Amino acid sequence: MIRTLMTLSVLFSGLMAPAQAEATTPTVPSFEEVTKTSGVASVYSGEYLYMVGGGAATFDCNRDGYPDLFTAGGEGRSAFFRNQSKRGGALKFKKQRSGLELDKVTGSYPLDIDADGNVDLVVLRVGENKVMRGLGNCRFAEANAGWGFDGGDAWSTAYAATFEKGAVWPTIAIGNYIDRKQEISPWGSCTDNWLHRARVDQKKPPYAFTKPVALTPSYCALSMLFTDWNRTGTPSLRVSNDREYYEGGEEQMWKLVPGELPALYTDKDGWKRLRIWGMGIASADVNGDSYPDYFLTSMADNKLQMLKEVAAEGKSKADFKDVAWPSGVTLHRPSFGDDLRTSTGWHAQFEDVNNDGRTDLFVAKGNVDAMPDFAIKDPNNLALGKADGTFVDMAKDAGVASTETSRGGMVVDFNLDGLLDLVVVNRRAPAQVWRNTSKALGHWLQVKPAQDGANRDAVGAWIEVRLGDKITRREITSGGGHVSGHLGWWHFGLGANDKAEIRVLWPHAEAGPWQLVMADGFYVLKSGAEPEMWVPK
Amino acid sequence: MISRRGFLASAAILAWGSAGSVAAASRPTAETVLQTWYGLMLELVRHTAPYSPPVAARTFAYLGIIAYEATASGGGNLQSLAGQLSGLNALPPRSSEARYDDANILHGAMQSAMIDLFDRTGPSGQRALKAVRQKLDAELSAGVSASRLKRSRAYGEAVAGHVLDWAKTDGGADVVNMGFPDTFKPVDAPGHWKPTSVIRMQQAPLLPMWGNNRTFAISAASACGLPPPPAYSEDKASDFYKEAFEVYDTVKTITPAQRLTARFWSDDPMLSPTPPGHWLFVALDILRSRNASIEDQVDVLARLGIAMSDAFVACWKSKFDYNLLRPVTYIKKVIDKSWEPILITPPFPEYPSGHSSQSGAAAVVLTQFFGENFAFEDKTHVREKLPVRVYRSFWEAAEEAGMSRLYGGIHFRAAIERGLEQGRCIGTAVNAIKTRRTV
Repeated sequence: MIRTLMTLSVLFSGLMAPAQAEATTPTVPSFEEVTKTSGVASVYSGEYLYMVGGGAATFDCNRDGYPDLFTAGGEGRSAFFRNQSKRGGALKFKKQRSGLELDKVTGSYPLDIDADGNVDLVVLRVGENKVMRGLGNCRFAEANAGWGFDGGDAWSTAYAATFEKGAVWPTIAIGNYIDRKQEISPWGSCTDNWLHRARVDQKKPPYAFTKPVALTPSYCALSMLFTDWNRTGTPSLRVSNDREYYEGGEEQMWKLVPGELPALYTDKDGWKRLRIWGMGIASADVNGDSYPDYFLTSMADNKLQMLKEVAAEGKSKADFKDVAWPSGVTLHRPSFGDDLRTSTGWHAQFEDVNNDGRTDLFVAKGNVDAMPDFAIKDPNNLALGKADGTFVDMAKDAGVASTETSRGGMVVDFNLDGLLDLVVVNRRAPAQVWRNTSKALGHWLQVKPAQDGANRDAVGAWIEVRLGDKITRREITSGGGHVSGHLGWWHFGLGANDKAEIRVLWPHAEAGPWQLVMADGFYVLKSGAEPEMWVPK
Repeated sequence: MISRRGFLASAAILAWGSAGSVAAASRPTAETVLQTWYGLMLELVRHTAPYSPPVAARTFAYLGIIAYEATASGGGNLQSLAGQLSGLNALPPRSSEARYDDANILHGAMQSAMIDLFDRTGPSGQRALKAVRQKLDAELSAGVSASRLKRSRAYGEAVAGHVLDWAKTDGGADVVNMGFPDTFKPVDAPGHWKPTSVIRMQQAPLLPMWGNNRTFAISAASACGLPPPPAYSEDKASDFYKEAFEVYDTVKTITPAQRLTARFWSDDPMLSPTPPGHWLFVALDILRSRNASIEDQVDVLARLGIAMSDAFVACWKSKFDYNLLRPVTYIKKVIDKSWEPILITPPFPEYPSGHSSQSGAAAVVLTQFFGENFAFEDKTHVREKLPVRVYRSFWEAAEEAGMSRLYGGIHFRAAIERGLEQGRCIGTAVNAIKTRRTV
């Protein structure tokens, strides 16, 4: 299953000088901002306690296949918007009461915790976190007590979830920020992150979480991601931390073996000390070596990490090299305009926005709070992947280079036309919605792995799409970005290919067979079955 | 154990407790006011973007002078620095007809200076500045008449204003792009500095014009100049190669003790209070533990700040005069392309070592005040879970700070040894400043 280093990865060898991208510019998609007509009206408001956070979650809670939207409101109320768009039509949302109207929300992630087929939400707050049980038809009710979920009382700013081997209930990591009561000296006051696991004595429903374990030491996490970095089948927990507030801290990765306490990767495992203003994690197999690569947002230079050496199956050291510069994605300052002070990056997400078969990278940018040494008008990035493995930021040409103070967001196909749209949550300003209005882009595919029983959405699975001798891979994760998450269709661009082979490497199970699917369609993927085509209404 | 948080937590303002207990609280002394603001300064130095070590040292100098002059104006035994420091004119005097409160003068001066010098700090820094100011405002108001309070605060602000106006003309007030020029073309010749980082901003060297800044106690940056470094050569028999090989070999065979030493004095900007902040931490800890008088405290802090700032100006002058490449550049080219230093190589020329220059200057100043062979504990990095280190003298600590740069693989020996000597020269000049009317 594990492939050796592929040709593209040669581009990232240590010998490569920081390079300017190749001459050929990828197809630039066209986006139209439709905020005013979309029905989305939401502001992430608040002062000091909301300088971080501001997430969006997209999920389908009424089983119509269209992703609905939840936005954090900070000091104001969070909001739910039901997606009323039609296939290929205008983006239309209707704000409606859902039970998710909460205050002090920083962000949220969708996950079917209780495997009932209704999406649940983990809502991060300045105060008690909430697990919101999906009741169906986009109604939600708090389930902290019913599910034994201790929401605590912290400034929560990160989340990740996985289903450990044999588990029928998810393991949820929560990242917490500084001690908000430390007004004079918040530095060094990072509060504990938590790991919520299921009770071990449960044999049948109703299941519940046990008391969370502190992930000590904790260093003010702003993003977390369970990811199978070494393709052993057991994801580890990457934590991106804000160096502004920790003492003696660094970026972290935790080993998580079922039934055992989490343990940090150390220099003995190859882990290198990295200290950044970590704010968001995006992952994708950028260089095609079958291992996930990680984009870490920060202030000034962002990082793109790839394994330093790919060893035999599962034996790679946890040693990553930063290839952001040669890849063209340091994205360290605005790429246009007069404000050339350094940038501040938040939500990051790899997606193929121009359907050319190469992953692209969206990054939300925005000053923390009028910090004069950083760009105030800090445009968001849309870095398009190029044939040579590098990226070029074309956000302005694509029409998505907002200079609002952005935080979270989501790149997602709201109107199910195969073109990825965009929502961005801004601090003290309205969230923005863009529709991808591109013409004549490449073919695409959207899939949704589905399982019976626990982990219905196959978190931890890998989806592989084969086009000739090229394989594009996607790890199904729950977490990362900046307090923003998605559950639903997973998108692949196919370029000129009108069909593709696809297979799923199911979590803690064997790889499924390669199966042929036609382009420009939606498929539900189930183990042992042919891909089930689904047609949006 | 004492930590930077300890500076704040131990202050009376935090012991003050809940709102409404003002009357029951003890009024902070001038010493407490001083230590509280300095404690916050050590935090903000780490958390304010332009605060590289030279910039930090400059602020330490001005804040020290402000605290000193605010105190010296009270008619005690301190003699004003006006006329002794380059371009510092006579400060506004207190009115002989009016009564003042010394702690409120100091608070007025310090808060005014802190707000000015840290106007670019982030939201947490702004919040902390406001919180400290408000707490001290409230506590220092107790038991002082409104007119005396107003007069004292205003006087402190006037002292700060005078010094800050002077500061604006020294060449170091405006740090753009965090000190990195937008464009820079490295000298394309053997032996010259080249960027060593993959961070985009750091493709230009930090503060290339800093050596042109006005100095405080030495007549000019060149007053404590240095001979050239060993002549650049790639010949294995050359002194330069031998120095480089020493760095290479030391890192390859580094002991746990050497590694810990390198990390202890690493003092990375934006991850620590910086090298000058390290020495300031040591001085503040000693002063507090000895219950030093306010006169002694401001004397030490002003001298220390001046010495370290002048050391950075002189050092930067030498750095850009000689523009020497870093060990990592040489070793990768000439000895072993796979070699990596232990510490992050700073983004500016190598010779001399900045930490050595300013440590030498600091050690000379502290030795003058506390005496030869003054043993002390260094608790600067306790919060980062690094151990307390014990030194038999300030100079021993300075020499260790210098050698830590060789262990870390970022400096050659000549830069360390001559940097310390440069610091000794500057410290001696600072010690010649007269701070007491009578001895």
